[in-house]
Amino acid sequence: MTAGSQVLVSSSGLTKVFSARKRGGVRAVDEVSFEAHAGEIFGLLGVNGAGKTTTLRLLATMLKPTTGEASVCGHSISKEPQAVRRNIGFMSTATSLYGRLSAREMVTYFGRLNGMSAEAIDKRAGELFNLFSMNEFLDRRCDKLSSGMKQKVSIVRTVLHDPRVMIFDEPTAGLDVLTSRTIIEFVKDCRARGKCVLFSTHIMEEVEKLCDRVGVIHDGKLLACETVEALKARAPSGRVEDAFVSLVGEPT
Amino acid sequence: MRPGAMFTVFRKELIDILRDRRTLIFMLVIPTVAIPVLMWITTELMTHFIEKLAREQVDILVLNPQTAPDLVEEIKQRANPMGRALKVAELLKQKGLSEKELAMTKGEPQAFLRMLEKKGVDPEELAKDLRVAVEDSDFELDPGAIIQNAFPPNFNLVTGLDPPLSDYSEQSLLEAVRKDRIAAAIEFAEDAREKLASGDSTEIRVYYLDASDRSSTALSGLRRIFKSLDKEMVAKRLVEKELPPGFASPVKVRPKRLPGPGILVKILSQILPYMILIFAFLGAMYPAIDLGAGEKERGTLETLLVAPVSRLSIVLGKFGVILVAALVSAVLATVSLAASLQLGVFSTLSLVSGGSFSFSVTEALAALLMIVPISCIFAALLLALSIFAKSFKEGQSYASPLQMVIIMPAFISFVPGVKLDWIMASIPVVNVSLALKEIFTGNLDQHWAHVGVIFLSTSVFAGLLLWFATWWFQREQVLFRS
Repeated sequence: MTAGSQVLVSSSGLTKVFSARKRGGVRAVDEVSFEAHAGEIFGLLGVNGAGKTTTLRLLATMLKPTTGEASVCGHSISKEPQAVRRNIGFMSTATSLYGRLSAREMVTYFGRLNGMSAEAIDKRAGELFNLFSMNEFLDRRCDKLSSGMKQKVSIVRTVLHDPRVMIFDEPTAGLDVLTSRTIIEFVKDCRARGKCVLFSTHIMEEVEKLCDRVGVIHDGKLLACETVEALKARAPSGRVEDAFVSLVGEPT
Repeated sequence: MRPGAMFTVFRKELIDILRDRRTLIFMLVIPTVAIPVLMWITTELMTHFIEKLAREQVDILVLNPQTAPDLVEEIKQRANPMGRALKVAELLKQKGLSEKELAMTKGEPQAFLRMLEKKGVDPEELAKDLRVAVEDSDFELDPGAIIQNAFPPNFNLVTGLDPPLSDYSEQSLLEAVRKDRIAAAIEFAEDAREKLASGDSTEIRVYYLDASDRSSTALSGLRRIFKSLDKEMVAKRLVEKELPPGFASPVKVRPKRLPGPGILVKILSQILPYMILIFAFLGAMYPAIDLGAGEKERGTLETLLVAPVSRLSIVLGKFGVILVAALVSAVLATVSLAASLQLGVFSTLSLVSGGSFSFSVTEALAALLMIVPISCIFAALLLALSIFAKSFKEGQSYASPLQMVIIMPAFISFVPGVKLDWIMASIPVVNVSLALKEIFTGNLDQHWAHVGVIFLSTSVFAGLLLWFATWWFQREQVLFRS
């Protein structure tokens, strides 16, 4: 279904080995190869500790790969990390806001870090503030905001520089239903705007609801990389959960 | 690296820490307010209790009063503030002079005159009034004599206790002193009367206990009494023999202070280097922990790391803020302490100090040459530690031992007699502490070479540490420690 659309993220043989003193090396990400395109949501499905976060951190250039390579919008993650970061919006439960800055200051700060001019920041931020109806709490300190307001600030922070690739690392983990919904809607909206969305989760429902294609990751290895329909078809029940379990095996 | 990005990080981090109460307290409030207040309270409290101790009436046991009844009488007359002493004390009070302040002049006439000048008291007039008060037309305006007259020790001479001591052995005297029944005991030689009558000298033994404050205060009070008694007896004997007054003391010592740095300069040049180093460190500590470990703990580090700025810009921006905090705190501590002394917050110190504490632009610049690189070292070290720590608490637990490592060598400025030489100049922290001491004492002209070399070596060291901190900040194992 995405054939013909532009490949924005491509990973080949991406591997990350963490040196753990006790057990020797841990292969957190093991030879992971996939492609993701503009206008699609690519899900990374796996249990906790499967390697989802490490994969996304590698793509966001927070970590450097041990071997293998990946590129984002044509920029190599190991050779041009800053160019890669300029093209991504990264959001996870670990990307918090600066509590002592106001919502406006927070957004402005990241605009500047992205190299935007003051006018560009004002214009773009103004649009986004209106879009998410944030104007009443813009000058409140972030640590005084409700979790819903915080999510909105985070979203604006992520898309302010209009990146072509969006990376969401379990963005709904630990959030209430209403806040999760805001995020899910936002993820869909990103696809509608033609962005390439990477979305990691361990929640099967989210995969069914959101994703176009999905990669099942377990023990650092990508076990399957296909459309959600193809994944479902692997199980007689036609459910993602059963297909997932048949792929990764029952826990021993 | 874009310099603009570094400045953006710097500006944001500065705003961030300035909104943190903990940092503000450590960086601004403690150096400006707490230190002078704390020092003021301790000096005032100490002098207050010393004074109280000196005023308290204590019992002195005379073991053998029958041996020298005349001497007992003479001592008694000098042992209480009565008669003319009270008059002198009243007069001094009217003039606004306290015993504490008089004592601070340490009997030095020049310091005494300077104090009178500060208090707006005319020395001539004071001398005239004193002569009337003590009914002695020869009374000299000498602080020692005034104290003797106005504030004699307050003793109650007793010849027995109730219930009486079983005996006068050292053991039972010790018990009596320890139980505060007496402060000291005196014993005359058996042949005291004969010896004195024949123009010879006699020994008076004073039993006292070193470990007891009341007892050792009593000893010094008794010394004063015996000294004045001794002086009077000598004078009487000289008159009887028709000898000149100087006969018994042919040589007199009169210290004359040179118009150089006074005691205030000496005190400040000891305190300031230590304070500057401590406050540079303390000022840097909380911002450093906040901007490294605190960022990890609050989960904002990842947010920052996905922004398209180099890690170098981030480290340098953070480092700059920590450095500024260190310098602000150190400079504030210096200014506030020097100003409090100058303005007389520590009244006891400033009244007698004489000569003000000031330094030239060159000296201030030389001091900054010492302070800036060492602050860079603190900032780089603390930032490296902080970014390694996973939480604020962990960061604090790393910084505390480091603080001890800094405090110990900085203390060198208090050790008397240590000179800045090439060996001292090669020991980190110690060298800066001693160089600052020399600068504040006004000896910069003799130590330019040391100051230059210390500046260079400290700067090189600071540069290496900053390089280490930036390398450290790029390590995944440090940033994503789990």
